Amino acid sequence: MKSVCLVNGSLRGRKASSLAFVREVSRRLPDAHYRKTFVTVRGSSRQDYPGEMLRDMAEANALVLVFPLYAYGLPGALMRLLEDFHRYVQAGNACNRDAKVYVVVNCAFPRPEATTGEAVRVIRNFCRRQSLSWRFAVCIGTGPVVALTMRVPRLDWKLKRAFADIAADIAAGGGDTKADCFVHPIIPESIIRRIKEHYEKKGGMIASPDAH
Amino acid sequence: MKAVIIFDRESATALSDDLKQRVIGLLETRGYRTEMVELTRGDAAPCRGCLLCLTKHPGACVTTDMVGEIARRMHRDREGIVTVFLSPALFGHLSSPIKNAMDRGAGSHLLQVVIGYGDDIDDEEESTFIDTVAKHRGAADVVHPGMDSEVTVYVTRSPVDNAAICDSLRDRLGRREMG
Repeated sequence: MKSVCLVNGSLRGRKASSLAFVREVSRRLPDAHYRKTFVTVRGSSRQDYPGEMLRDMAEANALVLVFPLYAYGLPGALMRLLEDFHRYVQAGNACNRDAKVYVVVNCAFPRPEATTGEAVRVIRNFCRRQSLSWRFAVCIGTGPVVALTMRVPRLDWKLKRAFADIAADIAAGGGDTKADCFVHPIIPESIIRRIKEHYEKKGGMIASPDAH
Repeated sequence: MKAVIIFDRESATALSDDLKQRVIGLLETRGYRTEMVELTRGDAAPCRGCLLCLTKHPGACVTTDMVGEIARRMHRDREGIVTVFLSPALFGHLSSPIKNAMDRGAGSHLLQVVIGYGDDIDDEEESTFIDTVAKHRGAADVVHPGMDSEVTVYVTRSPVDNAAICDSLRDRLGRREMG
């Protein structure tokens, strides 16, 4: 039985779009065929990640990292997990070097091809450093919108196919690395921009220095 | 003018110590009052993505730790401080304490200098580090509101690089002071 470790890189708890995407990937990996472990990043920075958690990651046949984009990079909480994992492996602990690595990154902007590239490159660099097998990324624009619509039949077919591709690739043998997949929200970009501008204006996001 | 140098104490190396001393020397020579902030992992909790620092109470982070205090100060004195971040460039990314500090608004709104270091950084990691920071500050076609400040980014792998970075930074600061 193959083992799969699914990492939720968001700190937003049950509200997190990343958690919804983790569940969608997990749904496509039947419990009868996979031993699944789930890791969620932590808000506290005072303690290292526990050894058992890092062992689950290191021994998995596949690692699926799902996270929100933070300023075009990784969330700090996920970076902390990768740092601890790096140290765990450097300390001589066992690591499955054949493990396949997938990324699902969701960003607030509608065009993920313009924003997510660097975060994916960081994970590719991580794979190269750890000698893990990079597979491909699913880059989602306006993640919260997609998370709301993805369970509706006939919508977000590209996302559903991408998640099915992750499951199929985990089940399959080796093969070439696949191209990254970019998923756009079903709501037109012009409307998303107007919604964003409305909330920026309402919230006074560009505030004057003496506003507080 | 004041300069705040924020670095990751737990990831200090001989290379970063050399860099830090050179940067402090350069800034003080140019008349800056320098302040060192040595971050440990416990001082810099990650950003929770609540956005309240942008929407409800600008400049104030809901998490109260050393970084929250720096962010508050940076928001108050945004026009009078230059920030220098020194971070290991692991996998071409900022280390978690420095990333957390930047995400939570510990950077100056006037000028931020971001320097990644590491003896064994490869070319792709260097390029990833530079591109991520550059994109954050306007190279992408979408920019975070209120975050259009100037930024300059470098990566060092040796003391020779450190010297070259300080030369470049000297020119950069000189142009800023002239302009």
